[in-house]
Amino acid sequence: MNLIKTELRKILQYPTFWVIMATYVLLQVLLIYFSSSFMVSGQALGKSLYDFPNLWMRFSYIAYFFNLLLGILVIVLITDEYSYRTLRQQVIDGRSRTEAVLAKFYVTLGLAATGTVFLLIMGLLFGLIYSKDTSLGAIFGKIDYLSYFFVQAVGYMCLAMFFAFLIRKSGLAIIAFLAWSKIVEPIIHYQIDDSIDRFMPMKVFGSLTPTPGQEIIDGLTSPTLALSPAWAVLPALFYIALLVLASMLLVRYRDL
Amino acid sequence: MATVLYLDELSKKFGSLQAVDRLTLQVEAGSIYGLLGPNGSGKTTTLGMVLDVIRPSGGSYLWFGRSISKATKQRVGALLETPNFYPYLTAKANLQVVADTKQADHRHINKMLDMVGLGTRSHTTFKGFSLGMKQRLALAAAMLNDPEVLVLDEPTNGLDPQGIAEVRDLITRIAAQGKTILLASHLLDEVEKVCTHVAVLQAGKLKANGPVGDILSAQDQLLISAEELAPVLQLLERLPYVVRFAQDKNTISLTLSEGYTSTDLNRDMFAQGIVLSQLLVRRKSLEAQFLEITQK
Repeated sequence: MNLIKTELRKILQYPTFWVIMATYVLLQVLLIYFSSSFMVSGQALGKSLYDFPNLWMRFSYIAYFFNLLLGILVIVLITDEYSYRTLRQQVIDGRSRTEAVLAKFYVTLGLAATGTVFLLIMGLLFGLIYSKDTSLGAIFGKIDYLSYFFVQAVGYMCLAMFFAFLIRKSGLAIIAFLAWSKIVEPIIHYQIDDSIDRFMPMKVFGSLTPTPGQEIIDGLTSPTLALSPAWAVLPALFYIALLVLASMLLVRYRDL
Repeated sequence: MATVLYLDELSKKFGSLQAVDRLTLQVEAGSIYGLLGPNGSGKTTTLGMVLDVIRPSGGSYLWFGRSISKATKQRVGALLETPNFYPYLTAKANLQVVADTKQADHRHINKMLDMVGLGTRSHTTFKGFSLGMKQRLALAAAMLNDPEVLVLDEPTNGLDPQGIAEVRDLITRIAAQGKTILLASHLLDEVEKVCTHVAVLQAGKLKANGPVGDILSAQDQLLISAEELAPVLQLLERLPYVVRFAQDKNTISLTLSEGYTSTDLNRDMFAQGIVLSQLLVRRKSLEAQFLEITQK
């Protein structure tokens, strides 16, 4: 509890935090709002995009892209502790190294929860205005996608946390985070068989929020071997645990 | 007297550089212990190790006779190298973070800010502070839970004369409360003025340690000359109270052991029929002594 209180003191008064969060909210609102006019095979997606219950799946897929922003925020918050040498000071003052990593893990949980609640509000807002079916059954039909999104956001931020603790410099850590999640691992995916790469971390995290309309694409081409969201939760939690543990070991066995 | 900190053969290697080499020393309760050495002599590394942020490559240390733990850390207030705070937070908010970590009473915050003369600046952000103010804030943070021991690393580094005077005054006041202080410095006069004990470090090795009076006693140096130097040198060899002497052209410089003065030397010379043409007493500078210690 004490750890969370301290993290809140630091974060809530940090202008950079508010700038990144404002960007996160603003861009996501814009994308959600304008996505209905995206053209797919000559036809605008239209307001049917906001139909319950599939809205939850679509919204969580949109939010998936913004996990990068949350990851960058986590990197900034952690590398700051190195450049201000405050991590060092906190260890001197009596915080254990494990607690230092745990505190940041709690921050990722808090950010993921914030993102999920934001998505819930957006979903209810757009759904209640535009959805044809607003019965309770429809509204809560696929709301479990929010929980998949939550796990995914934590996963992305834990990867960012790992790179931040590993590299300790914000610029390089952000590059490493983007490079791994968007370039290096996708390249590896091409090189190896689908039956194996579906268990790789970014693929697993991606599987939590599948591309809307994947069923249709699968019907046209050979079906993908990607895990279903429910099945992806377990390996995702495994990777989260692994990344947190690796971060703890890094901090534990290096000089601060 | 209880031992506050005990280092046993503590060592640290950075790659091929031996930053601290089997350092053994003991800090007693109530002392103001100076860690003296030039830049790069291993002072900060040593403090970093006993403060749990640098992992020793060998040896061990004990705080209050125990391994380091949350409990021992709460009895020690420390500032290592630079004042470490969040630049965007106010002085007060920064101390709140420190108080959380130390599980200190938040009511002490204002008292500590007043003590270091920042009471009126508690709502200024840290980045708006001058170096001297930052250093004082760090002292306030170190003192927050009223620790028994203060560890200070170059507390006056980079300050202007007024800042130096303020920080030194603060240290002396804190020491007067009976706290043990471990102070690293490359400034000889700082150590001489402030400390009761000193350990001299060079290239990671302990060169000398003990009470400041013994190590940095400003021993007098004598300069003598005579018509014939040869008999003088012969006699100096035999005089037991001559610690060391060296010939420099027409003069001989020498140091006497404690309790002996130029009078003793002059009398003994005269008794042997040697008449000195010059006898000069020169107070040895701290710098000269320091060089002497480190070149041993």
